Amino acid sequence: MSLTRLLAIAGFLLAALAVLAVEWAARRPGSRIPTIGDVSALVMRYDVGGFPVGRLAILSFWFWLGWHFLAR
Amino acid sequence: MEQRPELTVEPVSPWARAQVMLPVFVPFALIGGLLPSFSLAANLYVLALGGGLLLAGMSSRLPRRAAPVALLPGVAWWLVPIAIFVVVELVTFGMGSTHDYPTLSLLADPLLDGYLLRCMAYFGWLAGFWGLVRR
Repeated sequence: MSLTRLLAIAGFLLAALAVLAVEWAARRPGSRIPTIGDVSALVMRYDVGGFPVGRLAILSFWFWLGWHFLAR
Repeated sequence: MEQRPELTVEPVSPWARAQVMLPVFVPFALIGGLLPSFSLAANLYVLALGGGLLLAGMSSRLPRRAAPVALLPGVAWWLVPIAIFVVVELVTFGMGSTHDYPTLSLLADPLLDGYLLRCMAYFGWLAGFWGLVRR
């Protein structure tokens, strides 16, 4: 395995570990960090002229993830 | 101690509980696992299933949890994992997404060829929808 491939895998693992670490920190009592659910919720409540732009953006991203990894 | 800026929790309909909804996703994940990537069947399945759920998620019929009124000041910490991911993905993509510079999807493709991991990925995708749609 080449060094660059190893570094890329390590980078993705580091990003995943960072997600878990921040979420863990957010769930601690008295934390000043919002959970990923709270961040998503606030974005999803963003409306423009009554149209739920934030909700459409988040759910579209969810849809794209499924298509990208499971179908295409 | 600073309190989280959240509204009171709304009562959850019995059918909307995770213990009820998540098992519903199991057969869909088991079927999806049978359809190989890059096939017409997989594309149609994801388009139909994901499209239907996307439309359902845009309606206001599904019960939602109370949303926070404002974000806590530590929200910037979420930029750390995002920045790490974006840098690695951009570098590998910029280098052509090859074996020596693999993007995340290039690394995931061989893993998702197996039935079990593919079913688990489908289930995670659908469970993610349920986690999001109630927000």
